[in-house]
Amino acid sequence: MHAATVPHAIEMIGVTKRFGPVVANDGVDFAARPGEVHALVGENGAGKSTLMSILAGLYHPDAGVLSIHGEPVEFRSPRDAIDCGIGMVYQHFMLVDSFTVAENAILGARDAGIVLDTASAERDLARLGERYGLKVDSRARVWQLSVGEQQRVEIVRLLYRGAKILVFDEPTAVLTPQESADLIRTLRAMAAEGFCVVFISHKLDEVLAVADRVTVLRRGRAVATVEARTTDRRALARLMVGRDLLPGTSRSDSMVPHTGKDIRETILEIRDLRANGDKGLPALSGVDLDVHAGEILGVAGVAGNGQRELAETITGLRPVTGGRVRVNGTDMTNRPPGDIARAGVAHVPEDRLGTGLVPGADLTDNAIMRRYRRAPLARGPFLVRRAAAVFTDRLLAAHDVIAPGRTAPVRNLSGGNQQKLLLARELAGEPQLLVAVHPTRGVDVGAAETIHRLLREQQSRGAATLLISEDLDELLALADRIAVLYEGRIMGIVDARATDPDHLGLLMAGIAPAAASA
Amino acid sequence: MVETTGGEGDSRVEALRARLTRRDVIRGVAGTGIALSIAGFSRPGAHAQDASPTAGPPIKVAFVYVSPVGDLGWTWAHDQGRLALEQTLPNVETSYQESVPENPADAERVIRDFAQKGNQIVVTTSFGYMQPTINVAKDFPDTTFVHISGYMTAENVSTAFGKIEEPRYVSGLIAGKMTKSNQLGYVAAFPIPEVIRGINAFTLGVRKANPAATVKVVWTNTWFDPQKERQAADALLDGGADVITQHQDTAAPQQAAEARGAYGVGYDADMSPLAPKAVLTSPIWHWGVYYIDLVRQVQAGTWQSNQYWGGWKDGLVDLAPIAPMVPEDVRAMGETEAAKFRNGEQTIYTVFTGPLKDQSGEEKVPVGQAMTDEALLTMDWFVEGVEGDPTP
Amino acid sequence: MTQPQPAAASPEHPAVLRLEARAAPSQAVAVLVSIVSVALALLVGGLVLLASGEDPIAVYRVMFTGAFGSRSSLAETLVKTIPLLLTGLGVGIAFRMQLWNIGAEGQLYLGAIAATGIALFVLPDAPASVLIPAMVLAGLAGGAVCGAIPGFLRARLGVNEIITSLMLNYVAILLADQLVHGPWRNPVGFGFPGTEQLPDAAWLPRWGTTRVHLGLAFGLVAALLVWVVLRRTRWGYEIGVMGGNERAARYAGMATARNILLVMAFSGALAGLAGMSEVAGIGHQLQRNLSPGYGYTAIIVAWLGHLHPAGITLVAFLLAGLLVGGDQIQMSMGLPAAIAPMLQGTILFFLLGGEALGRYRLVRRSPSAGPRPRAEAR
Repeated sequence: MHAATVPHAIEMIGVTKRFGPVVANDGVDFAARPGEVHALVGENGAGKSTLMSILAGLYHPDAGVLSIHGEPVEFRSPRDAIDCGIGMVYQHFMLVDSFTVAENAILGARDAGIVLDTASAERDLARLGERYGLKVDSRARVWQLSVGEQQRVEIVRLLYRGAKILVFDEPTAVLTPQESADLIRTLRAMAAEGFCVVFISHKLDEVLAVADRVTVLRRGRAVATVEARTTDRRALARLMVGRDLLPGTSRSDSMVPHTGKDIRETILEIRDLRANGDKGLPALSGVDLDVHAGEILGVAGVAGNGQRELAETITGLRPVTGGRVRVNGTDMTNRPPGDIARAGVAHVPEDRLGTGLVPGADLTDNAIMRRYRRAPLARGPFLVRRAAAVFTDRLLAAHDVIAPGRTAPVRNLSGGNQQKLLLARELAGEPQLLVAVHPTRGVDVGAAETIHRLLREQQSRGAATLLISEDLDELLALADRIAVLYEGRIMGIVDARATDPDHLGLLMAGIAPAAASA
Repeated sequence: MVETTGGEGDSRVEALRARLTRRDVIRGVAGTGIALSIAGFSRPGAHAQDASPTAGPPIKVAFVYVSPVGDLGWTWAHDQGRLALEQTLPNVETSYQESVPENPADAERVIRDFAQKGNQIVVTTSFGYMQPTINVAKDFPDTTFVHISGYMTAENVSTAFGKIEEPRYVSGLIAGKMTKSNQLGYVAAFPIPEVIRGINAFTLGVRKANPAATVKVVWTNTWFDPQKERQAADALLDGGADVITQHQDTAAPQQAAEARGAYGVGYDADMSPLAPKAVLTSPIWHWGVYYIDLVRQVQAGTWQSNQYWGGWKDGLVDLAPIAPMVPEDVRAMGETEAAKFRNGEQTIYTVFTGPLKDQSGEEKVPVGQAMTDEALLTMDWFVEGVEGDPTP
Repeated sequence: MTQPQPAAASPEHPAVLRLEARAAPSQAVAVLVSIVSVALALLVGGLVLLASGEDPIAVYRVMFTGAFGSRSSLAETLVKTIPLLLTGLGVGIAFRMQLWNIGAEGQLYLGAIAATGIALFVLPDAPASVLIPAMVLAGLAGGAVCGAIPGFLRARLGVNEIITSLMLNYVAILLADQLVHGPWRNPVGFGFPGTEQLPDAAWLPRWGTTRVHLGLAFGLVAALLVWVVLRRTRWGYEIGVMGGNERAARYAGMATARNILLVMAFSGALAGLAGMSEVAGIGHQLQRNLSPGYGYTAIIVAWLGHLHPAGITLVAFLLAGLLVGGDQIQMSMGLPAAIAPMLQGTILFFLLGGEALGRYRLVRRSPSAGPRPRAEAR
């Protein structure tokens, strides 16, 4: 299908990158052709980000050669990579909120000059949008756009600047199923136009749906490049982790809903809960929820519909402006986070490094965050460092956290190990209620498996779990019931056994089918 | 040898003064030049015959300065005295440390260091060095210390200061004639008696020449900060003042005046080279007069702790040449008045003789009565005609 | 793997250096960087001295002996160490929590004012055994209040503590000015600013004939105390967590607002103790110009000391030596006063610069046939 004479769009040979003693990329070979969608998959810490950072000019490899369209290149800065026609779409968009779409496109463009010709940029953007199905209002200001629209702006901007190679880092993580499907169509269209598209993802279903070929990284090495047509999820997963996964525990492989537990007493009771978002606008507009002992209640929704605010109001991190939160019958509305934690509420927050962990502090300091006030770690006003070390070692061992040592900064751990540490800490106190937000986001398959097992253990222990996730497969696999949040309200609560992604997708889009109102 | 208390001078001081006057004449003819003033001091012939014993190791004298010697103000004037000392006496070795902060930790360390390094005389030239000087002197009984402008003495610590109010009064007479707006500005460092006295003397001169004029005071709370001094002067000029004088360590206020086409009266040294279009005259110091005398006494073994307060008659203070833009009659008046101070006909005591009223118009000194030394040294009130707060 | 083609080493292009972030700065690298920085600083300083016609070796020797070369110079260096150590510790503990307390200067003054007030007006006749502890408490309290004000505003109202603590410096310094010019002015001081001397009982004991006073012990005890607090107490742990991630601290149930207030007060108290010890140990009166900016130098001390009490102690001592030795080059060699601060500035510049570079490493690389560096300035 591809003429052998056409040079590869990207060719990386023997790329090695070390960070101190850690080898992030170990002689990686990677090649992608013009006109193909090439997926890059691998567990967290497998070296995907490092490899793409080298491609983007952020890091310089210790060894190896990089060629673009057959020309050996050496990038001294991201600027060089951009000049070579490489465009990166990150999860966090590189857009200026207060600028219009056209202004963002011009910003940093090569020959922008001093006077900004926004009118011609608007025309160009409209043409590009038409051609690739990426319609955006080029005069809209970025802050007015939804996440999916912002992503489209990001892509169009790169096209506007003449990018021929586009790298997407987990692009669907922030999208609704419908938006994801649109994106996949766009990527296929671009490949058909001769663009080289690199697609990084954990979601093997998507990978198989969009990619022509798939390269699998494991522990810094490229272990295989396979044709998407000739492989399946299971084979890819085996390549990623180097072993077979336990049946029924992977997010994607386990579509069989487990049997519901007996519904026992109500642990979490939320009535007409209201709260504001970071910008001071209402984010929760009257939420009612009950979570019972031994139950996992899933909360689905497109990002930004109140999920974070829901978790934060329950755990005391965000002021409640109206309504009630009761834990075990005790009113916990607007109590300090410490009181709520002492009432038996654990919290796996959305951004583990931003809220749940102290990135620069070592494993010990992170492990004892819920324990340091109590004996044996505390003795009067003092902290018993030896007891803290013992506690930490036990925690790490029990949950199989891979770390260079308990004095290493948590920042240096892989995402999966960070999350395992966080979860281990939160569960060490045997909480009555666990509020978990995107617990497996950005986490490799192996760690996700562990995390799912831990959530199930909570369930069998009789704890209540509020599981907020954007991964419908995960919710369907784990939850007893699923509530869908839309614009700060519960659109509906469905039985996880009696629903499917399409139904949930409609609820998430704010469309309430007659059957969905359970 | 010389008895230098009170305001008396002996023949040697007279001779020096005569020489200084001659120098001024020379400079007046030559037109200008700071270098010349050094040259004036540096003619050793006049003292060749009465030079002290030259044999033996040189006497070491150290000076502690509060600002850089290049300030062309207070510290510069002292350093001119140091150079005069070196050039006049054959067997003297001097050293100095400039920009020494007035905080107790640093000042005391520097003074102590000088004493430890074997200086027989240590001169500390700012008020803030008073307590540190006393502290160090306790540990070095064989070293002679002189503190300029303070009041604490000890067995081996003298104080020295000058009646700069005398030339300040005369500069006020000239400034009072030169103002058109009847509003004069005074950039002043700190509300302490030394500065308040100067403001009062200047104002008495101004009001004598021009009873309708007033003097507005702005405090800077620093001796040396050209930026702040300039800002204060600008504020006064904005307020309508057309003659700016000062009690600071730099010529920044005069330069501010020149930039606005206003007049200024300098201080410490003849500031006319720095602001030739503005400076009418400057009350100045001749510290060499005192330093030469001090070293002679120490060398001769006649030195005793004292509180020296020298006047115009002694040659310690003077008035720089009156600028050419001052009209002939005003200049003549100024020179006549200056001569009266030089010959001792007038003194600080005649300047501060009643009737003197304070700002509220209340009589502080009755008619015909002169203020005492103690009253002068603790003066904390402004005379009538000053605008400002003596105790901010 | 096949090793790359010529691109990586085209000989006609000179090698270029570039900075790359280090994964984790190591202890050994940090020490090496400091040594190289000092060497570079001395080298560059030496070149400047050479250019102005001085012998750099002689100047450095004078500086060194002036700071550490004799009993008396060492003593003076220790005298200077005391306020730098106490203010450095205070600033350092606040910085640990990402609280930018720029107000150590004002806190020092308020501590000095409070201690002076106790000695002159509250307990003028008390024996030393009563008076000195009372002054210590007053100094601590004065500084603590001055630190707690920006702490309170930050904790309760979210007001930036950089601005408020900095502004309070002027308030505190002018308050001291006001007192020594006005109500507290020595009644027999001929109207000159400054309080009368403190009673003898208020004077901190000195070490032999030197000026080294009990304040040194305060400083060392404070350093030990800060270490214990940071490393061995729950509160110190909370400070670390809050400094690392304030959201995480709230999440963990820590009383963040209370801790901000407490740490700012603690930080201020240490600076206040510095003010007390300057008054009771050195000046023996409250006066203008009590501090030549110790509270600002403290910021450099804290950074160079890596916010660690042991590092701060060492840096306070070395920096004191640099300041004391610097004065010597003027006194002994007759160099202009500006030379010393210039050399000091050069050395600090290189140390702080090296500090930043220590977090990166230089990568040697050669340009390639790839994109040319853009000619136009970016």
